[in-house]
Amino acid sequence: MKHHFPIRRVGVLTAIATAAALTLSGCTGSSAAVPFADSTPATIEGNVSLWHFFTDREAATIKSVVEDFEKANPKVKVTIHDGQDDEKIAKVIATGGNIDLAISGSTDRVGSFCSSGSFRYLDDVIARDNVDMSQLSETAKSYTSFDGKQCMLPMLADVYGLYYNTDLFAAAGFTEPPKTLSELQAMAMALTTYNPDGSIKTLGFNPLMGSYENVPIHYAPASGATWMENGKSAINSDAWKELMTWQKGFVDAIGYDKLQAFTAGLGDEWSADNAFQTGQLAMNMDGEWRVAFLADQKPDLHYATAPFPVADDHPDLYGGGYTSGTIAGIAKNASNPEAAWALLKYLTLDTDALVKLANGIKNVPTTKDSLASPNLDFPPQFQTFLDVVASPHLATNPATAIGSGNQDTLSTYWEAYQSGAGGDLTEGLAKVDTDIDNSIALSTGP
Amino acid sequence: MTTLVARNTKKKPSRVLSWIAEHTLLVALGVLFVGPIVFVLLTSFMSSTQTLTASFWPAPWDFNNYGKAFTQVPLALWFGNSALYATLATLFMLVSSVPAAYVLAKIRFRGANLIFLGIIVAMLLPPQVTVVPIYVMWAQLGLTGSLWPLILPNILGDAFSIFLLRQFFLTIPKEYSDAARIDGNGELGVLLRVVVPMAKPGIAAAAIFLFFHSWNDYFGPFLYTSENPLAWPVSYGLATFHGSHGTDWGTTMAVTMLVTLPVVVIFFFAQRTFVEGITLTGVKG
Amino acid sequence: MTATVSTEGRVAKVTRPLRPRTRRLLLVWGMLTPALLGLLVFFVYPLLANVYYSLTSYNLLSPPEWVGFRNYEYLFTKDPRVVTATVNTLWFVVILVPVRIVAALAVAWLLVRAKRGSGFWRTLFYLPALVPPVASVVAFVFLFNPGTGPVNLFLKFFGIKGPLWFNDPALSKPSLVLLGIWVMGDIMIIFLAALLDVPQDQYEAASLDGANGIQKTWYITIPTIVPVLIFAVVTGIISALQYFTESAVASAVASGSAGVVSTNPGSVLGYPGDSLLTYTQWLYVRGFSNFQLGYAAALAVILFVVASVLVGVLLRKVKAFTPEDAS
Repeated sequence: MKHHFPIRRVGVLTAIATAAALTLSGCTGSSAAVPFADSTPATIEGNVSLWHFFTDREAATIKSVVEDFEKANPKVKVTIHDGQDDEKIAKVIATGGNIDLAISGSTDRVGSFCSSGSFRYLDDVIARDNVDMSQLSETAKSYTSFDGKQCMLPMLADVYGLYYNTDLFAAAGFTEPPKTLSELQAMAMALTTYNPDGSIKTLGFNPLMGSYENVPIHYAPASGATWMENGKSAINSDAWKELMTWQKGFVDAIGYDKLQAFTAGLGDEWSADNAFQTGQLAMNMDGEWRVAFLADQKPDLHYATAPFPVADDHPDLYGGGYTSGTIAGIAKNASNPEAAWALLKYLTLDTDALVKLANGIKNVPTTKDSLASPNLDFPPQFQTFLDVVASPHLATNPATAIGSGNQDTLSTYWEAYQSGAGGDLTEGLAKVDTDIDNSIALSTGP
Repeated sequence: MTTLVARNTKKKPSRVLSWIAEHTLLVALGVLFVGPIVFVLLTSFMSSTQTLTASFWPAPWDFNNYGKAFTQVPLALWFGNSALYATLATLFMLVSSVPAAYVLAKIRFRGANLIFLGIIVAMLLPPQVTVVPIYVMWAQLGLTGSLWPLILPNILGDAFSIFLLRQFFLTIPKEYSDAARIDGNGELGVLLRVVVPMAKPGIAAAAIFLFFHSWNDYFGPFLYTSENPLAWPVSYGLATFHGSHGTDWGTTMAVTMLVTLPVVVIFFFAQRTFVEGITLTGVKG
Repeated sequence: MTATVSTEGRVAKVTRPLRPRTRRLLLVWGMLTPALLGLLVFFVYPLLANVYYSLTSYNLLSPPEWVGFRNYEYLFTKDPRVVTATVNTLWFVVILVPVRIVAALAVAWLLVRAKRGSGFWRTLFYLPALVPPVASVVAFVFLFNPGTGPVNLFLKFFGIKGPLWFNDPALSKPSLVLLGIWVMGDIMIIFLAALLDVPQDQYEAASLDGANGIQKTWYITIPTIVPVLIFAVVTGIISALQYFTESAVASAVASGSAGVVSTNPGSVLGYPGDSLLTYTQWLYVRGFSNFQLGYAAALAVILFVVASVLVGVLLRKVKAFTPEDAS
């Protein structure tokens, strides 16, 4: 009987509970928001809580740059939380957790981050500190602002292009990368090999929407497809239809089931088993950072890069591509906004910091000075991405109040369409537009 | 039992046939039901390259996956968090729910039916029905990002446990508690000296159910701890494991085995109690 | 028991000796209070607050803003994925629940017939139900992996080209039904107990009257287990309405997404092609990924209404749920 009423255990319990509090309690804690000062403070001090999405090797680069900042500002201590995606950052900010500065890996949520008030608008402090905004490109400014107001700053840019395995190209007798989508498909078919049972052994190019970096935003520049027009979703357009019809034809030429079976057996995109790195994919749509992953995880792979091919009737678009970037901003409930702002300026506008970051994780730097820096150290394959950034056909996507909701809606439909379940394309895309518009209406204003 | 079967088999040849048919079916089904566990176990001893080949048997046996499971991810931390979550939740539940169940089972008072009804409804409704306001509450207390929102409510009772315990307590004949009262025991005395000792299996069953429920919980940790890797329990950690470790099915299966192991061990120690508990969850009473 | 004595002693010392009746009443309510408080704080209040939130636009960052029935209007007329999510959830209600019950009943029936070694068989068929849901889903996605999983390798051995299972929008739900059958042990145990409760003498009497196996099943077995069957069906439906873990984990593992950098974990939900997007997942995405808490509350209100009807059925039909007098 004594064994069953836990009177005596309560003491032990309290001890466990106290110990547990250390490991269990949120490192988030709650914090009271502090506003920016009216004038630039003479010294900055205190703790800064920095949340970012990078992991492993890339996180080490961030850490080293943050340490440089701490050396220059000895009164500031930065606590880093790595591996935190947008959803988690949104959660911590919404629940009053202690985030001063957050770095996001995509611009998907800029609209919802800014319209919801999760991040602070920066126009006042930019003016207060006379920040030279002309250092930033118009594209980069556009994907970090909402409603014409600057709410985040670009830290580094991501640019997308085509990677191809030069050994496999040579074996198939190819010397030049494809420049149009038709060429891409024809070369991919020639580079695809099959097992005796008919399943795919290696693939020239994986057209399946949803695999790796195959998402609508990355393909849009290939036909000049756009997202919004006068505040309304405008996806039901010839440019999107051209892309989707081509992609569906490509999937059907190989077989949807075969592609799905092959894709399901591939290694994770971010692991060393990435199918381009293992040679299972001869060509792949990917971001500029892959250069660093290849150098780290597969240094002996022979490859080259090129701008992504464009639609057959838009040869003029060749050389461009999709860009977005790593962005950073100050959280609504920042308790040390001045130190966070100083760190934000350092990470996004300091030439030395940007060059070190760009060299470390092989991203495209985002200020004019850093792009012109002689200290940039990139392998030859990286040049493609610098060229794409300079191209007049560089494209990005606008921020919406529903974050990536419009992309998700299109992806969902596109994935149904490629499997043959999409019905009539025009009707399907018209419904996509309606759904997006309704969703935006729910999120903005009563 | 045995004699019954023997007698029957002697009687009619058709009985023999149906006996054989039924047992063949049982064995075949048994193989299908054990198969997945066997494959998972075998795969956990394969190197990551071997898991992608067509062979079912590890060759050679690779025992590294279990070590890798602890070095690639903070598995020990996850286990610690799960153990803490499940243990504290269970202890808190016992302290609060045993007395409540006793009152509802053994004492007549006005309003008892209404309270019991409330507990039943709280137990049966999907937890998502109240998740929004409860999340807002924990966010305002600054406790999101930890397991406390899942542990602390048990101090104020757990509806399913109260219900289960009450069902057990009802099976204890009234005469025992009356006799204890005549002996000068107060209600606490009756509970501790008579009801608790007699309902040991029931209390154990309720404890095991809540322990398993907490150990297996995915929705709760997903909702409350996803942003804080230091607070992840194994069930949530395992779900993130495969994604971040590509085609390393060997290690994934090793983690899967390790997550399952504590539950199976507890089950084998308390099998009888457990089965009784399930049958009492609401159908016999 | 020392604890008891000291507790009561302390009460007596601190306060004027109370009349035994009053003291007993205090003690009884003292024992009940934590649970009662729990019921109010974690059930009654949230139910009411949820209705209020459902009429607001709320993202935790600024106070709830009254929007009337806008969330409901959007829910019923404009939300494209709520339809998908509801249809998927109803699919599980209509297919998963009966299939699991039939499977559990069949196995329980076999176990009753095979008296020898029934303890062994019972444990064996129950074992999968013990595997933590996340672990069982990870295991199944591995077993049914289209390219390299044992199931398709096995089929290939017989010259059959295995399907895509969890990677095929048409087969992802049936694959989860297979998983549901594998873990049917909890229902099976309940059926087993009910079947063993059928009085043997009734069978013998029926046999003497010349009844055959089917008649015995129909007239004796079925009526005895009807309450258990109702219990299993209704609780099965309630848990199918909140189907979350299995589908969410299957989507995440089968899509092979790390969700670390560019991928939004919210967009993995439902993979492949929204086929595993369930109602409660949609509620999660709206509420805790997009932080449209007002809209999520509206989704919860609808779930509450549907589940309440089922709870009402249970309260009427299951004896254990009707309050009986305390002994």
